[in-house]
Amino acid sequence: MRLRAVFILFAVGLGGWGVLWAQKQFQQYPGVEYENFPLPPDYQEKTEWTRARLKYSSFDVVHPPIRDGYHRWTVDYPRSDRHLMQGVRRLTRIHTRSVEQIVELDGSDDVFNWPVMYAVEVGYWHLSDDEAAQLRDYLLRGGFFMCDDFHGTIEWNNFMASMKKVFPDRRVVDLDNKDPIFHVIYDLDDRFQVPGAQYLFSGQIYEYDGYGAQWRGIYDDQGRVMVAICHNMDLGDAWEWSDDPRYPEKFASLAYRIAVNYFVYDLTH
Amino acid sequence: MFEFLFKYPASVFSKGTFVLLESWPMWILGLGVLAAAIFLGAIVRRQAAGFARMAGIRSGVVWLLQTLLVAVLLLMLWHPALSVATLRPQQNIVAIVVDDSGSMALTDESGGASRRAAALGVLNSGLIQSLKDRFQVRLYRLSDHLERIDRLDQLTSAAPATHIGDSLKQVLADAASLPIGAVILASDGADNSGGVDLETISEIRRQRIPIHTIGFGKEKSTNDVEVTDVQIPQRALPDSRLAAEVHFHQHGYSGAKAKLTLRDAGKVLATRDITLKGDGVEQTESVLFNAGRAGVRTVETSIDPLPNEENRRNNAVTRLVNVDSRKPRILYLEGEPRWEFKFLRRAVEDDHTIDLVTILRTTQNKIYRQGIANPKELEDGFPSKIEELFGFEGLILGSVDAPYLTPGQQQLIHEFVDRRGGGLLFLGGRDSLADGGYAQSAMNDLLPVTLPDRKGTFVRVGANVELTGAGRDSLITRLEEDPAQNVARWKKLPFIMNFQDPGQPKPGAVVLVDALPTTGGRVPLLITENFGRGRTAVFATAGSWRWQMLQPVSDMSHEMFYRQLLRWLVGQTPRRVITSTPKQVLSDEALVKLRAEVRDKTYLAASDASTEAHILGPDGIAESVGMRPDPTEAGVYTAEWTTPKAGSYLVEVTAKRGTEELGRDVLTFRREDGVAENFHTEQNRELLEKLSSETGGQYYRPADAGKLSKEISYSEAGITVRETRDLWDMPAVFLLLLMLRSGEWLLRRRWGVV
Repeated sequence: MRLRAVFILFAVGLGGWGVLWAQKQFQQYPGVEYENFPLPPDYQEKTEWTRARLKYSSFDVVHPPIRDGYHRWTVDYPRSDRHLMQGVRRLTRIHTRSVEQIVELDGSDDVFNWPVMYAVEVGYWHLSDDEAAQLRDYLLRGGFFMCDDFHGTIEWNNFMASMKKVFPDRRVVDLDNKDPIFHVIYDLDDRFQVPGAQYLFSGQIYEYDGYGAQWRGIYDDQGRVMVAICHNMDLGDAWEWSDDPRYPEKFASLAYRIAVNYFVYDLTH
Repeated sequence: MFEFLFKYPASVFSKGTFVLLESWPMWILGLGVLAAAIFLGAIVRRQAAGFARMAGIRSGVVWLLQTLLVAVLLLMLWHPALSVATLRPQQNIVAIVVDDSGSMALTDESGGASRRAAALGVLNSGLIQSLKDRFQVRLYRLSDHLERIDRLDQLTSAAPATHIGDSLKQVLADAASLPIGAVILASDGADNSGGVDLETISEIRRQRIPIHTIGFGKEKSTNDVEVTDVQIPQRALPDSRLAAEVHFHQHGYSGAKAKLTLRDAGKVLATRDITLKGDGVEQTESVLFNAGRAGVRTVETSIDPLPNEENRRNNAVTRLVNVDSRKPRILYLEGEPRWEFKFLRRAVEDDHTIDLVTILRTTQNKIYRQGIANPKELEDGFPSKIEELFGFEGLILGSVDAPYLTPGQQQLIHEFVDRRGGGLLFLGGRDSLADGGYAQSAMNDLLPVTLPDRKGTFVRVGANVELTGAGRDSLITRLEEDPAQNVARWKKLPFIMNFQDPGQPKPGAVVLVDALPTTGGRVPLLITENFGRGRTAVFATAGSWRWQMLQPVSDMSHEMFYRQLLRWLVGQTPRRVITSTPKQVLSDEALVKLRAEVRDKTYLAASDASTEAHILGPDGIAESVGMRPDPTEAGVYTAEWTTPKAGSYLVEVTAKRGTEELGRDVLTFRREDGVAENFHTEQNRELLEKLSSETGGQYYRPADAGKLSKEISYSEAGITVRETRDLWDMPAVFLLLLMLRSGEWLLRRRWGVV
């Protein structure tokens, strides 16, 4: 009897371990701006959906001689994410977790458990060949990738250097106003550039030479957007500072609407 | 031997009635036997008193033997006899019906003779002449009809089919005006029309015409493989995966390997290596193939000929598959944006045979429609009108709680399945099944499961999946051609993200897949059921999307599963007019039977429709045939039409109510000549024996057929006279008396009391 109990416990444990191994649990990392951000009480709730944040492993020096030395993938994290999750909860019927999920292109299967992924400051990222290959695989299997908060020509070129590794032959195109991605919930024909928090101090909408917002994307073979590129804007900051009365409501509002449209578009296409 | 002992053939005893010709009363016979018994008892008792060896049971045995002896002798005084009806000589006709079909040309009689030669040998070796001495003899040849002939040399054994029942009906028709006293049927019994029906046998019995049969041909082949039947759906959606169930048997090749091939116009659709089972064992093998594009598939199923096979023409069977050009529309109502919705849509997006229309509740007050035919379609959300919902052929309910649908919409869904014949799939989710309040809805009936009486049945716990026994045979779950590989592939699928306890499967429901939660236990995951004219299924998870995301891009498991599930959902959904025929391939038959089921726009049976079949055939054949309402089934119309020649035919049935067209349907069928006689070529002795025994005749082997001339006289058909046949002088009676007497003597000797 004791042997049987041990066997059953072992089997159950093995099964549980298998699940855990294939799908990583939630973990909060220290960010460049927030080290010990409080966790919401329901952060462990099992839900249908959360938005993943890509923890890319390396980045380039794109504005020499500035050498930040910090983890750019954590910019705005996790305050931006938590606000966004609340927004998605309130504005849609998506069964949303209150916290994000950090994923890596580390060769494990974990990233495939989170079919919608967001990356910030991709003007600095540097994907290795393996990371690019896994991101390609992720997208072709049905994953959706949204990137944001990179500005000007230099950062664009650096972004594309890695993106070309992901899809050497696919074109990056401007998303047409008629694309369903701008109409799935909100009709977003009239979009404008969304500045980062620097706007509160500089009053400047753009950064570097990123004078106008670029709503771009990469389509799959069936005509679905699988990579949504938000260039020359900082939606992450807009979510992050949406609770600050100094940050203009119209920017925050558009940032939420864009996110909601993109996420629902992903879940319907 | 029987006739030697009992003086007459057994048929005389079976047909005659026992009578006592002496007019003395029967009670005197009884009294005499009683008196003899008492008298003999007294004598035996007196003898036994003097001999100790005769005491007890021995004296009883002696008394019994003596009493029986006297009883038999007394019975003979009453003149026992049989009263039997016999045909009046020269006043009756004996019909000799000789099978003239192609199978009679087979040379499997002794010495390599053909069956026809053997039959002629039997008939010409005195049988016909002896019959002619006492009766008029009429000769007939039997094929797919009956035809009178003058001489036996008119037989050719070239007729394309054998319809014994129909032919005997014609004999009966002749018997109405002619004194036919008996029928002799010389045949191999290889009937192509499905045997002799009860109605024909009852009619023969009513006319009391005995049918004597003489069987020709081997009862079992030595070396042969015969495809007996192939079952393929008559209709399919383009690119559907279909299963051909091939039934066959063999003799002489037990354990041998053979190749089963499916071809369409010479192009190989599928092949499979098989191992033949024991001799005579009916074997069934399943072969999967793709239905291909819209059009008619002429699927020839064959087993490659084996070495020294006697008959190679029975190795192939042809069936037709009408691959519809329609694109069934499926409406998917989803209550929340979720992964299963996205990946289900993606799975069938490239499937050009299915049109998926979706309504998604994106926010509390908004819906998002995809796949709609025009901007107005489903503008108000889920249909409330019967015409709007019945325009779809399938329906999927995702994570949407039942109260979201009004009672009217719920009832409409019920009618959609029950009356419309649509398919309904319930997906698992946090607002699905028991958690969505479906047990209290009008849709509860439709579920193939009895929902648990609790909430919280949907859990976000990983689970592996496993095919059940039924799932191994199902086309819905067939990801690999090979059944064993398919089972293994299902076991290797990534675990599903969540599952829902659907409750207990209802009687008649079939569980195809089980979930094996990582926490232990087993839960039905995919359950199907037929309901009314439609079908329903539960797929109790919202987590199969991991099969797509956690497997290589090239892996099509998820796509195949959902495509096959949705095709099953709508593959058999009927349209307003459905045409069918019992046989899509007429093998040496000319008559085609057409049946059309007609419904109006609300799918109620339309019994007042004007229904017509327009038939196009080979060489410009074009004809319109009016279809008549079937008085036994509302909305059903039937027609029969005789095909003038072999070839492929196309039938378009249109149904109108006044000037309004209710619908139309297209059907194809094919007539093949010179095929039927290649099959069922072994002697069907069972049929011949049954025919004889049911009609008061006898079955004869060719070697015994000589007895027929004597036995055929005893018949109650035609012009008969009752004759009596004495029984007292049967050798069996004398033998019995002798045995009784000698038995007593032998016993006495043994006991030493002689």
